[in-house]
Amino acid sequence: MAKLIGSLIVLALAAVVPLVAPHAEYVLGLLFLVFLYGTMATSWNILGGFAGQVSFGHAAFLGIGAYTTAILAGLGWPLWATLPVAGALAALFSLLIGVPTFRLRGPYFAIATIGVGEATRLIALNWSSLTGGASGLTLATTPPLIVQYYLALALCAVSVAIAARIKVSRFGYALAAIRSDPDAAETLGVDTTFTKTQALVVSAFMLGVAGSVYAMHYLFISPDSAFGFKTSISLVIMPIVGGIGTIAGPLLGAAIFTVLREQLEAYFPYLDLLAFGVILCAIVLFEPKGLLGLFDRLVKRRG
Amino acid sequence: MSYGLALIYGVLKIINLANAGILMLGAYMTWWMWDAFHLDPLLAPLIVIPLFFVFGVVMERLIVRRVLDQEPIVSLLLLFGVWLILQNVAYVIWTGDTRAIETPFVDATVKLGAMQLSWARIYVFCAGGITLAGLQLFLTRTHLGRAIRAVAQDREAAKLTGVDVERVNAVAFGIGIALAAFAGSLLSLLFSFNPDFGGTLQLKSFCVVVLGGLDSFVGVAFGAVALSLAEAFGLRYMAASLQNLISFVVLVVVLIAFPKGIAGLLRSMRRG
Repeated sequence: MAKLIGSLIVLALAAVVPLVAPHAEYVLGLLFLVFLYGTMATSWNILGGFAGQVSFGHAAFLGIGAYTTAILAGLGWPLWATLPVAGALAALFSLLIGVPTFRLRGPYFAIATIGVGEATRLIALNWSSLTGGASGLTLATTPPLIVQYYLALALCAVSVAIAARIKVSRFGYALAAIRSDPDAAETLGVDTTFTKTQALVVSAFMLGVAGSVYAMHYLFISPDSAFGFKTSISLVIMPIVGGIGTIAGPLLGAAIFTVLREQLEAYFPYLDLLAFGVILCAIVLFEPKGLLGLFDRLVKRRG
Repeated sequence: MSYGLALIYGVLKIINLANAGILMLGAYMTWWMWDAFHLDPLLAPLIVIPLFFVFGVVMERLIVRRVLDQEPIVSLLLLFGVWLILQNVAYVIWTGDTRAIETPFVDATVKLGAMQLSWARIYVFCAGGITLAGLQLFLTRTHLGRAIRAVAQDREAAKLTGVDVERVNAVAFGIGIALAAFAGSLLSLLFSFNPDFGGTLQLKSFCVVVLGGLDSFVGVAFGAVALSLAEAFGLRYMAASLQNLISFVVLVVVLIAFPKGIAGLLRSMRRG
């Protein structure tokens, strides 16, 4: 209950920021990115954290969402109408991917997803008639920043609510069982492949919608930005740094990631990923539960 | 490179995602020694191989050992982090500019009947073949090589028969890293490169290793041949830019259809 009240307070604070400071565009833009990346990290976490299926190819779903919006907008669709289509197409595609790849386990699954991610990027690059090839696609119009802000905030809140709901549901327990021991889970009557596929579809749908918002914000998308391996990497790093398998972890990771990246990228290009590589290694070696785990331990030591 | 990957996987049962980074470093070392000290790139492996062997052993001692007993995904993530670090350190030191090694030897070609072959390609081909033969000899004929294979087959049993498993782990990791760096050094003669060098090759070598069966050395050689044939044939029917797609598709199909690779397939056919 305390957690629910806490999150409502955070949500309310985030909602009044634009009212208090409507012209602080830098702050609004930064927060927008935090929400967007928070949504993406939360989506990845449903599969990667709850079910323990680490995917290095999640940018594929983001890319499909982004391209869906760009292509439909080019055909004259209103932007808001492309949102659900982007999510639906990404979810559909994830079914296509999930059915074969979920026959693999652990590290094999992770490697296969690298292949899937790269394959979709190459397809986007080469299918020029639909995607514009390497030169990418441009959106003609964009909603004002303040609309984007609330859109991303709403998306983030909904995705966190879904993730929190899943975590304590029968479905969530099934995912946790798969994470700790797939064989035991199967013996106890969990249809592991079906459950993992469900998690993937939910995750892909949310990423598809996030991709749509991504396209609206950046106006320009190309195979390397939307489908890039760098995007897939960030999706893995954020939840792990924050605290894999938790609700607040991916959000914390996204906030740190976005702010650090914005600061570092301007002055020292490449240093951002270097820093995240170091953080990733340090977390894996010393605090597998992420920053949230570290925080818990510090609190316990005090108390 | 594929061999390094297979060796590390076979012995330590972890998948080394940092291999691409090592490959790239091997290429840069070769280039740097040529650029700064005018060292012939053909001699570079003499320095690169021992250097990276030591680097591999130290890496195993310092960080990899800590995660060996945990779930496979933990070491995967850790080495992925190492790859990120290596790649971006290279960006900081050498910038993103594309580098290439150009010596008279690298550009020289020789006519063989109707074919025009570059000396560099012949050299790389021979060096690769000799390395494989040497590795095979090492693994089958020497005490240490046999210990490595014993650990790859059954760690507990090897320990019972008196094999120093920890030492074997470190040596195998060192050899794996050294092989990757050697491959990078060789490839720098053929291709120009930047810090992203190795990413695609990494996937290809995964593909090769998976195709051959993750812990079978003969299978790996088969895998390499099979993949290059698939790519060459694929080129006839589709655009060159889609060439990389082939390896990914092969990778995914193989992982799903016969996860034990060609060797595993043959084995089960023999049994059935």
